[in-house]
Amino acid sequence: MSTANKKVMVVGGGIAGLTAAWELSQLNIDVELIEKTCFLGGYAIQFCCKATDECVTCGACSAEDMLYNVVNEPKIKVHLATEIEKINKNGKLSVSLKKSSPQTDSAEGGLAKGYSKNNSPLLVVVDKSSCKKIPDGAVAFDDIELVNKIDDIDAVVLASGFNPFNAEIKGTYGYHKFNNVVTGLDLERIIRKNGVVVRPSDGKEPKAVAFIQCVGSRDENLGNLWCSQVCCPYALRMAEQTKYKNPDTDITVFYMDIQNAGKNFPVFYEKCKSDMRFVRNIPVDLYPIKGDKLQMRYMNDDDGLSVKEVFDMVVLSIGIMPGSDNAQLSELLDINLNQDGFFACKDKFNRTSTSKDGIFIAGTVQGPKTIAASMAHATQAAGEVMKYLGVSK
Amino acid sequence: MTDMINAEMEEININTEVLVIGGGLTGLKAASEIAASGYKVSLIEKESDIGFQKETNYLFSVNKKELASLEKLIRQVKKNNKIEVFTQTQIKGVTGVTGDFNVTLSKENELKGKKVGVIIIATNFSVEPMNEKYGLSLSENVLTQSQMEELLAPDNKSGREKLANKTVAFVVGFAQDGYPLVMERVMRSVLAAEETDGCNAYVYAGDLKVASDGLEMIYKDTRDNGATYFKLKEAPNINPDGKTISFYDDVLRRDMELSPDLLVVEEAVCADQSNEGLAELLRIDMGPLGFLQKDNVHLFPVCSNREGIFVVGATREVQDLPLIWTDVENMSLKVKNLLGDGTRMVPKEKAVVDTGKCVFCLTCYRCCPHGAIYWDEDNKAVISKIACQACGICASECPMDAIQIGGFKDEDIKVQIQKCIETGNNEPNIIAFCCQNSAFEAGEMAEAFNMPLPAGLKIIKVPCAGKVDIDYILSAFVNGADGVLVMTCHSGNCKSEQGNTFANMRVGDVHRMFEVTGFENDRLKYVTLASNMGQDFSSAAIDMERKIKELGPSALRN
Repeated sequence: MSTANKKVMVVGGGIAGLTAAWELSQLNIDVELIEKTCFLGGYAIQFCCKATDECVTCGACSAEDMLYNVVNEPKIKVHLATEIEKINKNGKLSVSLKKSSPQTDSAEGGLAKGYSKNNSPLLVVVDKSSCKKIPDGAVAFDDIELVNKIDDIDAVVLASGFNPFNAEIKGTYGYHKFNNVVTGLDLERIIRKNGVVVRPSDGKEPKAVAFIQCVGSRDENLGNLWCSQVCCPYALRMAEQTKYKNPDTDITVFYMDIQNAGKNFPVFYEKCKSDMRFVRNIPVDLYPIKGDKLQMRYMNDDDGLSVKEVFDMVVLSIGIMPGSDNAQLSELLDINLNQDGFFACKDKFNRTSTSKDGIFIAGTVQGPKTIAASMAHATQAAGEVMKYLGVSK
Repeated sequence: MTDMINAEMEEININTEVLVIGGGLTGLKAASEIAASGYKVSLIEKESDIGFQKETNYLFSVNKKELASLEKLIRQVKKNNKIEVFTQTQIKGVTGVTGDFNVTLSKENELKGKKVGVIIIATNFSVEPMNEKYGLSLSENVLTQSQMEELLAPDNKSGREKLANKTVAFVVGFAQDGYPLVMERVMRSVLAAEETDGCNAYVYAGDLKVASDGLEMIYKDTRDNGATYFKLKEAPNINPDGKTISFYDDVLRRDMELSPDLLVVEEAVCADQSNEGLAELLRIDMGPLGFLQKDNVHLFPVCSNREGIFVVGATREVQDLPLIWTDVENMSLKVKNLLGDGTRMVPKEKAVVDTGKCVFCLTCYRCCPHGAIYWDEDNKAVISKIACQACGICASECPMDAIQIGGFKDEDIKVQIQKCIETGNNEPNIIAFCCQNSAFEAGEMAEAFNMPLPAGLKIIKVPCAGKVDIDYILSAFVNGADGVLVMTCHSGNCKSEQGNTFANMRVGDVHRMFEVTGFENDRLKYVTLASNMGQDFSSAAIDMERKIKELGPSALRN
């Protein structure tokens, strides 16, 4: 069967959605890419390069590459600020779309900004009333075009991604209360913007930094019985980079079990162990003291007694949680979630399969994944779509 | 400058047969997927039969129904008329490039030639007992993980009975960092052991590797069913007979001792021993720990440094079965993109050898990271239009300047260099040679986000820093540049693996020339960054400008 006139909808413009869309377009499939926010790239595009003098294979640059591919590919139609309203099946699928609500929380002064030069548009006015001066080239949220309905869709790839754990839930760490407590995601953005780690309170490079692992993951009390798989890699890589750029930084990592990062982990881990201190304990709480510093309480390894230690900055390595839209999407698409709230696979060996033919899942919507794993999973989904459409070579 | 996108194209024919090396699970799945795309497959296996060993179902923890589906896969491959299976067969030699490989296969010392377009490497894991690292010999009460799994096999009733009312201790994570797959085997054994009446399981572990779907839940299940975990910083003291384990417990804060009836020692999951030979034969890079594929994000998941040679599953990394299936599907799509219907459009002038200048020194053959260069019967270098990635390393290394890269010809770049020099202004002239994959993008980002950039900065795009010839750098200075930046990808991130290394070497060469002549070294700098590092691009360029302002205009500037 020929690929002519085959149309696939990809839901989500993060790294998995971009990859699935691009792989399908390369096989001559028309792709309709739906993205809820005003920008493509999802979380992956916000991540920083974590290289020291050498690449540590975090994959952040792959997100940049893939975004470039997609925005330059005429077979992919991008629908920004768009959500699914309804799906009708009458032979092929017909999808009604609606405008999403503007994401004002990430905007500064009413203006949302893309992270990559390939984001198009780069600037979106999400709240006109609080935007003092509208810069050249900025697009008003209301002017982002909405296509109300797309007919004749042959298959759907759901790649709507994850939610970062809301660190406020771990109240004793004072996230959003104390300036210099940041999440791993915040730190990615800080490094991307400044090139180095700086403290939010004074914009200066911190001397003593603590990373707390498993914030929100592997947490029985929260019912989050999964390892997010990305936090040890990102924390250790950002810590190593910080140490490389500023060798005077003292870094402490509080952890339960360190997970592998990269193919040459034994070598990388040895380097980490010589560059920073590892404490196998999850801290109790922290509170601010003079000079915007943070005093942390944890249990000492040696004698089991409570220790107080002062840090300039604390990074909470937040995990990957199921997307906030999952329940809604599960209903709309009529496909099942698993016990953790991610989407379930019908075939244990094929993690892109769902409980419904013609609907496939890609990326972190299925479970925690690194950038590289999301891309591989999305390419697999594109391959499964091709098989479903009965298209061979 | 001409762009490759608008370059003149020509059609070439390629061989669409595929060779799959390895008749284990990965190879079987690979062969069946490729055949389903309509291509002919030769599947070679060094053992006497294709299929998977009994251990596999323990390693991948598949149930009966799933095992049946995997066994069906073997039968399907055997009767698929698009797949030809060669057992007791190994690959002995290979020449040519993708679309036109000539491989030599050997079966019981008999050699046989075969032409294929693509080669897939699908070797298996090997499993190694680690008892010696713990100073233990295997015995009645000291077992390997595999032996334990045999005892626990669903159909091994007497094996399970042996565990009744026994204390079983597992040690894992001290002899190796390990993988989730290693951890999963232990945890599944613990779960199975707990089903036997009176069997108590204790696990001594380093870092629990739980970064895999569903593993944390299994960990909880094992504990809910009674298992006790001791997470220690270093291996516990184990008596050489395996009958006493003494250790300091961090939680209870005292010395403890356990006398297990059975001690199960972890097994390492390792790369296949044949990988190294295959890498040498096929001229592909070895990665860490005996796996094939360098740790380079641009190769993930299944590419090697050579076009048309793919590495899947355990060949490249320790992976569970669903991830191996992901690899196979990725490979299958890439094969489809590469082979298509057997014809391919390629740029006519991707990399062109001037046969008049070529003296057959083989420099290009040796430095090509993609194995894209061979030679013809006239003893002249030939660059494959399909295997070549147009990085330009060969063009800049060729001592005869006999190679030109389409879109980046030497003469065009030299014209660009001349155009970059502005006379009559007071701003320092800075020329940045930027790899199109990283620094060029970062430069555009710096501009798009209004980051500070020197007024006299000019960017010249190169396909890869490996194309930055010493001539270019010198020519920039001769034409009046005050400073030159060679900006490229971080080490280990080059799409051509070594383009940045070559660029760095050449910058070093020029620095040595400068030292001899007394020209300031600070005017030339090698910088690595990624495509999303607009901020770093900006600071590197501003730094150079500041330095030049200190030094004053170049002595070579008119």
